[in-house]
Amino acid sequence: MGEIILGIEEAFLLLISFNKEIYGIILLSLYVSLASTFFSTIIAVPIGTALGMRNFKGKGILIRLIYTFMSLPPVIAGLFVFLVIMRKGPLGHLRLSFTPTAMILAQICIVVPIIVGLTYNGVKEKGNTIRDLGKTLGANNRQTLFLLIYEMRIIILAAVIAGFGRAVSEVGAVMIVGGNIKGHTRVMTTYIAMLQNMGDYSKAIAVGIVLLALSFLINGILFNLQQR
Amino acid sequence: MNIYLENVIKEYEGKRIVHIDELHIKNGALYGFVGPNGAGKSTLIKMIAGLEPLNSGNIYYGHKPKSNPPFEIMTLVFQKPYLLRTTVEKNILYPLRLRGWTEKAMEERVTELLKDMGLSEFRNQKSWKLSGGETQKVALARAMSFRPKLLLLDEPTANIDPSTIAIIEKMLRKANQEEKTTVIIITHNLQQAKRLCSDLVFMHRGNAVEHGDVEKVLNHPTHSLTQRFIEGELIVD
Repeated sequence: MGEIILGIEEAFLLLISFNKEIYGIILLSLYVSLASTFFSTIIAVPIGTALGMRNFKGKGILIRLIYTFMSLPPVIAGLFVFLVIMRKGPLGHLRLSFTPTAMILAQICIVVPIIVGLTYNGVKEKGNTIRDLGKTLGANNRQTLFLLIYEMRIIILAAVIAGFGRAVSEVGAVMIVGGNIKGHTRVMTTYIAMLQNMGDYSKAIAVGIVLLALSFLINGILFNLQQR
Repeated sequence: MNIYLENVIKEYEGKRIVHIDELHIKNGALYGFVGPNGAGKSTLIKMIAGLEPLNSGNIYYGHKPKSNPPFEIMTLVFQKPYLLRTTVEKNILYPLRLRGWTEKAMEERVTELLKDMGLSEFRNQKSWKLSGGETQKVALARAMSFRPKLLLLDEPTANIDPSTIAIIEKMLRKANQEEKTTVIIITHNLQQAKRLCSDLVFMHRGNAVEHGDVEKVLNHPTHSLTQRFIEGELIVD
C-alpha cells in the first residue's frame, strides 16, 4: 500500500518537475500511439466499410481471419515487423530497426484489424439502408460514401477509441522493434516494464498513473467528438 | 412522370417474386398498390426506385423511354424510414444541398414543409428523439422537399395515428395536385386507397392482376382474386 501512495506522490512530483527525460517519454508515447491510430484509421475504415457493403466469395473466411487478428498478440506483430525490417529482412535497407517508425508500423499491425472488424460490424448493420437512402435522395456514389461515413461516425469513432486504447497500452511489439532505447525509442509502457524489472515500483506506478491520465484525456476528447 | 413496365421479372433463389407483363403508370396520377402480404408490392416499388435490379425486362421512365432510373427527380419513402443522425431541419435540407439550392430557397422550402407537416416546433430536434409518426412526417417532408416528379411510398401510414395519417394524406394530395408529382403508394387500407388514389393496381403472387380507376376496381372488379381480396378486407374491417 505504501508503494502505491508513494507512486501517486511521485507521479505529481514527476509532472511538476518538468523532467526532460520523462516528458520526452510521454511525448514519444503519444506520438507513436496517435500516429499508429491515425494511419490505421485511414487504412481500416475504407476496408471495414467495403467489407460491410459488399458480398464476395471468401468473405466469410476473411472476416474470421480479421476477428482472429483483432486479438493478435502484440509480440507476434512485433516479431513479424522485426523480421521484415531487420538488416537482413526484405525492408532492411530502410534501416527502420529500433526507430519510432518501426514502433508505429508494429502498432498499425495490431490496430488495423480492430478498426476493420468494428467498422465492418457497424456498416453491416446499417450500410445498405444508408446506401439506399442516399440513392433515393439523389446522391451520387461519392456523396453516398460521404453520407455513409458521416452516419457511421459514432461507430467509427468507437472503433478508433478501441484502436487507440490498444496502441497506447501495448508493450510487447514496441519492445521488440523499438528496443526501449533511452532518449530514442523508450515509451511509457516499456519504461514501466523496465522500472518494474529494476524494482523501482514507485516510479513505475507514477509513470502508470501518467499513462492512464493521458489515455483518459484522449479518450475524453474522442468521446466528446462522438457525442456531437 | 410516365412509367412503363415491360416483361419485368424478379427472382430470388429461383422463386419468382415479381412478374409484370405490362403496366403503364400514368403521368400525374396517384396510384395505390394493394394486395396481400408477399404479393411483391415492396419489391416492385424498389425496382421502380432503382434499388432492386431486374432479372429481365425493362422499366422506362418519362416521355423519352430510358431504362436508367432518374434518381435526381424521383424518390422513395420506406415503411421504416431512416433519418440522418442530425436535426429535423438538416434532414430536410440534405436533398436540397445535393441539388445546389440557394440558402434562401432552402430556408423558404424547409419552413413551408415544416409548417405544412405541423413540425415547426421540431425544426432543431435531433432525429432520434422523434416518435414514429414524427419520423414518418420528416421522411415525407425530406422526400417532397425537392419537388420530385415521382414519389414512391412503401406503406407510409402503417402503425401511424389517425391525425398523422390525415396530414400525410393531405401532403400527398398537395404534391400530386399542386406540384404534379406522380405518386405510387403501397397500402393495405382500401378505405385509404379509395379516398386518396386515382388509380389502383391489385397485385397477387408478383402479378399485377388488375389495374385501373380506383372506383372501378373497388366497385366492379373484373378478376375473382380482386373480388375476394376486397371482400376479405371488408370482412376484416
